[in-house]
Amino acid sequence: MEERQYDLIFICRPDTPEEEINKLVATLEHAATERGGKVEKTEKWGTRKLAYRVSKHREGFYVYLVLRSTQGEMIKELERRLKVADPVIKYMTVRLDEEIKRQQKLVQKRERRAARRPRKPAGTGEQAAAAS
Amino acid sequence: MADEANPQAPPPAPETPAPEAAPAPQAVPATPHQGPPRRREGGPPGRRMGGPGGGGRREGGPGAGPRRGKRQFFRKKKVCKFCVERVDYIDYKKPEVLQTFVQDRGKILPRRITGTCARHQRWLGVALRRARNIALLPFATEL
Repeated sequence: MEERQYDLIFICRPDTPEEEINKLVATLEHAATERGGKVEKTEKWGTRKLAYRVSKHREGFYVYLVLRSTQGEMIKELERRLKVADPVIKYMTVRLDEEIKRQQKLVQKRERRAARRPRKPAGTGEQAAAAS
Repeated sequence: MADEANPQAPPPAPETPAPEAAPAPQAVPATPHQGPPRRREGGPPGRRMGGPGGGGRREGGPGAGPRRGKRQFFRKKKVCKFCVERVDYIDYKKPEVLQTFVQDRGKILPRRITGTCARHQRWLGVALRRARNIALLPFATEL
């Protein structure tokens, strides 16, 4: 299986101590690498206001991970862990590699077009100048 | 009135590769409420009120009505914000950006209001739904 890229975001209760979150992140990273995944990026966004109430909380501590893996099982395992983890109130995984591929294709297309012929100056400005 | 802005416009036009974008920002601040007259610079100013100004009207750009002499409303042509900025991917992790395409109560604004193109509206919808899922945006704002 080709390599896939995922975004993983989870929200912890705002009253969880920082060390506990660090510990949780560390175990998740460990679990990911154990199953042949790579952790590209780990970001802690800190406490943010939630747009709606999640298990009676109005604020939450966001943690954001970017993962790469050829094994879909890895995601399954991570989600299982997040589900049972006590401080986590919400999590979401998004598969992004297809969108990134699409994006690269668009960029390439644009570059190719730009290389083929430089943008010709459009008329409107010059016409206005000529009329006055 | 619009002619006052004109003398500023000609110099950059031949030099810059995209004069479409260049003169417009200069003209707009000078005459903030003179959007409609600006459109008519294609024809001589004397032909304002319809009549024989057929040639000028064609250059009047998009939004010009088919009927002659009865044009009182000028709708500003809406441009897709994402196309202007050449956005290839709409990030669901930026609620500040997405917020502008949502009603007060949290509904997604339709294309006819925001002027977003079909492709970007599709991507926007995906991004908004993702943002809602992770509590970055509300499904519905409670009052």
